Amino acid sequence: MGISIRVLFSLVCWLSMFTSFCFAEKGQTWPGHVEGETFLLATEVEGHELARMVYAEGRRTEPGPAVNPSNMKIAQVRDPQEVSDSSEPWEDEAEEIDSISDPLEPMNRAFFQFNDKLYFWVLKPVATGYSKVVPQFGRVCIRNFFSNLVMPVRAVSCLLQGKFESLGIELVRFVVNTSAGFLGFQDVAKQALDFPVQDEDLGQVFAFYGIGPGFYIDLPFLGPYSFRDAVGWGGGLFINPLNYVVDFWPNVGVRTYDIVNNTSLRIGDYEAMKEAALDPYVSMRDAYYQYRLNLIEK
Amino acid sequence: MICKRLIMVPLLFFMTLVISGSSIAGGPTEDVRKTTDRLLAVVSDPAMKSADMAAERARRIRKAVDERFDWKEMSKRTLARHWKKRTEREKEEFIDLFGKLLERTYLDKVESYSGEKVLYVGEKVDGKYGIVVVKIVTKKDTEILVKYKLKNKGGEWLVYDISIEGVSLVNNYRKQFNSIMTRSSYEDLIKKLRKKVEGKD
Repeated sequence: MGISIRVLFSLVCWLSMFTSFCFAEKGQTWPGHVEGETFLLATEVEGHELARMVYAEGRRTEPGPAVNPSNMKIAQVRDPQEVSDSSEPWEDEAEEIDSISDPLEPMNRAFFQFNDKLYFWVLKPVATGYSKVVPQFGRVCIRNFFSNLVMPVRAVSCLLQGKFESLGIELVRFVVNTSAGFLGFQDVAKQALDFPVQDEDLGQVFAFYGIGPGFYIDLPFLGPYSFRDAVGWGGGLFINPLNYVVDFWPNVGVRTYDIVNNTSLRIGDYEAMKEAALDPYVSMRDAYYQYRLNLIEK
Repeated sequence: MICKRLIMVPLLFFMTLVISGSSIAGGPTEDVRKTTDRLLAVVSDPAMKSADMAAERARRIRKAVDERFDWKEMSKRTLARHWKKRTEREKEEFIDLFGKLLERTYLDKVESYSGEKVLYVGEKVDGKYGIVVVKIVTKKDTEILVKYKLKNKGGEWLVYDISIEGVSLVNNYRKQFNSIMTRSSYEDLIKKLRKKVEGKD
């Protein structure tokens, strides 16, 4: 077990070196990039020292507060058809094509009801109580900590899709946030470098290689999934270092705590969705499908 | 008086932050911004916070939203192929009900405003269609990407769809309505819609 962690760690170090070469080759500049920076990050640098350095770098290259040129570009590139095709888009829109198949609907509806009750009877009261004890700032830090911990899943998913820039961002984020961000409690990489978390997972990797979503499945406790993404989620468990370090039941406990913490920061979202929907089950199914589609396209 | 001015300072600061983004005069971003600023002014106005002002507050928000959203276009797109089968009266009835439902949903969102930052991050215009990309940064350090889709009608850009993190509102309702109509009927959909709007769910 200890060996696999060590192997993983050396892999991460190796990869971060590799990606930094990639950046250099492409001639891309990113805030804080200097010759031999990988070496600098890998060696022991005192947390606050690095943070200050990183902050200073970030500030120099920071764009204006309201304009983010990179986002602008993304927004423009991402919608090549949406505008041009929309002379009267609703007319030729075949509704059945862009929705997920749902042969298990009766079962899924039952589980949807189950999860609904689970939320209102258990999860929400617990999360509400918890949020009264732990201040919001603390809960955001804990969310960051858990997010930092599952970096390998995102990094491997980036790698398998050949998204080397994202992979680089994830690895730099991990190094910076783990050190300067105090074990990941602070998302310094986002604040100072404008390196946001790269939302990649194995489901998106499968989609990248042309695998369709399969059918819709609403799992008890876990919520909505497509068959493909449920398999991806399962595969992610094998990449998640937490599962190699912690035994089964403590692991379930930690995960539950993570869920409670996340829920405490999102109370009201599910209620709003339900309130706005005529058929919450269909609304949820479609929202999940559209959300995943959007992530895959990115 | 001084007190009032002091309150204006953060508001003005916030607005300059928003305004310092890309600005193309008369473009869709400008129109979205106008409405957003009006809404923010209402929800951040301390005079509007008291309970007896709630109705007035809601009225002002509704007015601002009404002027920017094209309920007819939204209804048309949501009903899609079912739209043509409807009579003029049915169409009007649907627009009214669906508009009210959206208005209420949007109202709830705006009412729960708690100091989120609104950043204008992108715009695309193609003929009479346009997209405005907005990033909402919450106090919980989460970013929500919102895309307004607009259509130019007589020089005014009107919203016909909002997509939040890639989830289009119109698409989402279309799926729901279609599911209800294939299961039962258009009449049943109207019944459900009316029930929802009247709050008797």
